[in-house]
Amino acid sequence: MNCRRCILLVLAILVCALACVREANINLPDLPTRIVALSHFTIGQPIQVEVSLSQTLTDAGDPVIPFEANVSIAVGGKFLDKLFRVTDDGGRIFWQSRDTVEAETQYAVTVQIGGYDPAQSESYAPQPKFLSPSQIDTAGIRILDLENGKLALQLPLVISVADLPADKRYFAFGLKHEIEIFELINGEPVPDEYYEASSKFLADGRTLALVYDTPENVVLINENFWQDDSQQLSVDVLIPFDPAYERPRRVFVEWRTLSEDFYRYHLSLARQGNNIPLNDPDALYNNIEGGYGNFSGYSATEDTIRIPELF
Amino acid sequence: MAIRIFLIFTFFFPGAVCLLVAQNPVQQPIDFVCQNCLPADALVQLSRETGINIVFNDRFFQDCPSITIAARQQPFSTVLEQIASCSQASYKWVAGQVVFYRKARRFTLSGYVQDAETGERLIGASVRIISTSTKGTITNEFGFYSIPLDEGTYQVAVHYIGYQQEVRQINMDQVQLLTFRLKANTALPEVVITALPLSESLVSSEENRQNLPAALLEGIPMPGGEADLIRLAALQPGVQTGVDGLGGLHVRGGNADQNLILLDDVPVYNPNHALGLFSVFNPATIKNARLWKGDFPARYGGRASSVLDVRTRDGNFRENHSSLSVGLFASSATLEGPIKRDTSSFLLSGRTTYFGPWIDLFSKRENLLTFSGDQVTYRFYDVNLKLNYIFSPKNRLYFSYYQGGDVFRNQFEQRFDDPEGLYTDQYGLTSDWGNAIAALRWNHLLRKNLFTNTTLRFSRFYYQSRLTLLSTFLSASGKESLLANYGQIYQTLIQDWSGKTDFSYFPKNWLTLRWGIAYTLHSFQPGALSVNFLVPGQSPITIDSLSLALLNDERLGADEAEMYVDSEWKLWKHWRLESGLNFSSFQIRNSRFSALQPRIRLQRSGKKGWRFWWGYHRNAQYLHQIGSFNISLPFELWVPTTLKVPPEKAWQVSTGLALLRNGWHFQLEGYYKRLDRVLTFLSSNTALFTGGAEDASGWEDRILSGKGRTYGLEMTLQKRTRTNTATLSYTWSDAQRQFPDLNTGKPFPFRFDRRHDLKISVQQRIASWLNAELIWAFATGNPITLSGVKFQHHTPNGDTERNVYVYTEVNGYRLPAYHRLDAALNAYFGGGNWKHAIHLGVYNAYNRANPFFLYVDSGSGSNAKAIQYTLLPLLPSFRYELKF
Repeated sequence: MNCRRCILLVLAILVCALACVREANINLPDLPTRIVALSHFTIGQPIQVEVSLSQTLTDAGDPVIPFEANVSIAVGGKFLDKLFRVTDDGGRIFWQSRDTVEAETQYAVTVQIGGYDPAQSESYAPQPKFLSPSQIDTAGIRILDLENGKLALQLPLVISVADLPADKRYFAFGLKHEIEIFELINGEPVPDEYYEASSKFLADGRTLALVYDTPENVVLINENFWQDDSQQLSVDVLIPFDPAYERPRRVFVEWRTLSEDFYRYHLSLARQGNNIPLNDPDALYNNIEGGYGNFSGYSATEDTIRIPELF
Repeated sequence: MAIRIFLIFTFFFPGAVCLLVAQNPVQQPIDFVCQNCLPADALVQLSRETGINIVFNDRFFQDCPSITIAARQQPFSTVLEQIASCSQASYKWVAGQVVFYRKARRFTLSGYVQDAETGERLIGASVRIISTSTKGTITNEFGFYSIPLDEGTYQVAVHYIGYQQEVRQINMDQVQLLTFRLKANTALPEVVITALPLSESLVSSEENRQNLPAALLEGIPMPGGEADLIRLAALQPGVQTGVDGLGGLHVRGGNADQNLILLDDVPVYNPNHALGLFSVFNPATIKNARLWKGDFPARYGGRASSVLDVRTRDGNFRENHSSLSVGLFASSATLEGPIKRDTSSFLLSGRTTYFGPWIDLFSKRENLLTFSGDQVTYRFYDVNLKLNYIFSPKNRLYFSYYQGGDVFRNQFEQRFDDPEGLYTDQYGLTSDWGNAIAALRWNHLLRKNLFTNTTLRFSRFYYQSRLTLLSTFLSASGKESLLANYGQIYQTLIQDWSGKTDFSYFPKNWLTLRWGIAYTLHSFQPGALSVNFLVPGQSPITIDSLSLALLNDERLGADEAEMYVDSEWKLWKHWRLESGLNFSSFQIRNSRFSALQPRIRLQRSGKKGWRFWWGYHRNAQYLHQIGSFNISLPFELWVPTTLKVPPEKAWQVSTGLALLRNGWHFQLEGYYKRLDRVLTFLSSNTALFTGGAEDASGWEDRILSGKGRTYGLEMTLQKRTRTNTATLSYTWSDAQRQFPDLNTGKPFPFRFDRRHDLKISVQQRIASWLNAELIWAFATGNPITLSGVKFQHHTPNGDTERNVYVYTEVNGYRLPAYHRLDAALNAYFGGGNWKHAIHLGVYNAYNRANPFFLYVDSGSGSNAKAIQYTLLPLLPSFRYELKF
């Protein structure tokens, strides 16, 4: 074998070797299918429980929602209500109680589906912690230019908790704004209708490091946020609008006081990562015995802030 | 009863003392007169007059002049001292007579051990006095040794691996400053062992237990044939990396950032190239490396787990030499020689890579992570420069400089056809990172047994990425419009200026003292992102609010001070004690943290080759590397201790035994380590927005502090013959972490916990010019967090849903076991001034598909699957070296 052929052979081996870099399908942990129960209930509202069955990770289809499930509520070990199946206008299916939720009452839920282990859990809706009237720093209001002639209002908003508890500082908040649509009649703007939309916000790095988006349309606040005993949370609310026919009018702050089950579940969801390779997620907080999901309560208050007339 | 004993004692004690004094003839008052008499004659006269026998040698007093004494009622001892005052002799009372003896004079033998041909100072060379087993030492980091010796004639044996032993007879009648020049073995490079101990002679030298001599680097099978120090270190029991070398070095269950990695006394913040496939240490420049697995002396501080102390070569003091190394992935060239013969020298070495074709092959086949695209380039480089100058036998100056970096570029284009036209997005990502290190060191011999080293240091590590997006739209009518022209730059930086002075003092044969003081000024830029919109009139509000919040250009300064005392005691005949105390202080934002770190190690050397030891070491750490991916990526941030980020603290107890007999070496060591404050970082999920860089905003609030616990047993069994060395090293260990806010507060396995870790190596000399090596490695699979099932969480209005993965336990699932076989064949030929070496090898010889990571591709329909990715398959290696 002459030298030239040697070189060619070495190159061929190299190419073959690198071609061996491969992916292989593997078997994931074999966990049995279990009942999934999801419910976030609040004071004065009936309990709604979404029931389904867990799926394997490689199952890309829709989850199975049982046609028949026995979902019941008990308080203090005594049967309270058997929930009934509801399909709402949007097609969402859940089981709903007849009674409404009372504050600080410990509710126990049991979900039974033939062929599966029953799922049980219990939680409560805490008494709400109220906000002091939220403040807008009018001197800090900015109007930003967007594309196509649109504007955005940047409102510095300070949210204050009236009576911050010593422990169990489990809170979440949601921001919405109201836009007034007007018509020009004889050159004068005349209010025609209103609509509401979720608001984005800006905040400092620390705040953004300690708040998390949730599927509940509220932002969860890490309990460590209150470490320095400051009772305030400052954000810049962003309200995009078209100055030709829209005016921002009001900001709504939904303030939720959470049970620990609600808080821990959504905190663990926030730490799941986005299925990024090599990024370690946290274990899921699961308070459903015999199944998966979350059964937890909260209470909510709302603060409304009128936006100063700027136009 | 106690009172009665006390009374009896206090009553009788003074009387007993008086009685003893009265009966002691040395204290009895006498009259003695002597006019102009010689001391020897005076002693004879004194003996005759007092009746006390006095024994002496005439030579003790032969140089003394005549004396005159007229003593009246003076103690006998006073008279004796007057007579003997002119001589070096002392006396003692033995069996009722006075015996004079000569006090031995003591001198210090000190100096350096160096290579006879190159003048390179040798670290860890053994200097022993033949015929005494207790007298001896090893050379320090600058090749210096010092041994106090009584007046007399000795044979001194000096030994260093790869060199011929030198035995020299010396007459110690004065202080001696001796330089030993050892000749290198000219035969085939010594068959060396890939796990400690290295040779019988060095095994017996307890001080050398941490050595990783550079000679080991040659011939070990490595990917692409590139010799690598970190991979060599990972062959030691108790030392692990992630899969195929990625993921940093993990020593006894410690994090990768808990290793103090020093290059010529300067901390290296990023020791890796190519994500860990290679280290920043160019083998052509390495003189010596030492690895401590937690039991490091007090002179090292600032890290919680281990120390890897790497020293570079000085350069040849006598002749100009060059070397060239060409491998499959990298090439290097080295020049060295005297600037002024025997006085000053230089060493200049450079290394670069040609990864491009390989990366292209990988990325086009696999679409790994973000490496997909049209144009992917990657390269790294290293430059080392060393200058040194000998002013005098007592003064020497060293200058070391290192600069190395990695560059990664990826450009790709995406097109979306739409009925209205064609959308085109052009992405560009450039990332570069690297270290710059400089050290100016001054060696000064204050006294023959007091060595000092003063160092001025600079260390800098930076990471920078630039991400650009040019988005355009070409309408069906042919009109082109610009949709977005967007760019962002992300930077993170750590930079140190520091100074330190170390003293080494050798006052006694049985005692070595070291002490020193250091100060470091740290500067951190945890992460700064600047966003630039190139289209006038566009507002930052058009991008996600979270990305905007990355604007964090905070620069933090911190002061770190440290002082230490180290002592090494040779107690009695077989006992050895290493004890030390390190005190460190860290100040930032008007807050001060401090730590007192005691360290102790006690060893007994038994007969027949046995050794036993026990140690306790406490360490503290003020700097932390934080990131989301657990594989030590370069954009992970170095951040300081603050009020919210506590200093990490660790302590370790270890005990072990070793036996060296008839070519066999057996060593067993057990340890238990606690990490009282170990940190982890919560991902922001925005890392991908920044071109891979980690979001630094609010970093202090995303760090969790928890506890770690690890224990294990490490065993080494080795057999050496003249032509063969076989080594088995096995580690059984258990490493756990516990954080109040993770895994619902329950302990979970450390990401790099491996219950079993086995390495077997065989080195065989086939011919005088040829040797072969086989290494087989086996390890329990790494734990990972994996979900088996999922469910959906709908938004309240039911519009959207989110997949919730049921991770029941953090790191609750084990990847399949890791194992591979490597082989190498090393040939050495040539003579005179031209020496050639060819290293052929194969990495992962049986092409084991070791899992790098698992990924669940949710896909759609039946396409969803869990995929295991393998990084390094069978890789042949080749390297050619030429030295002239």
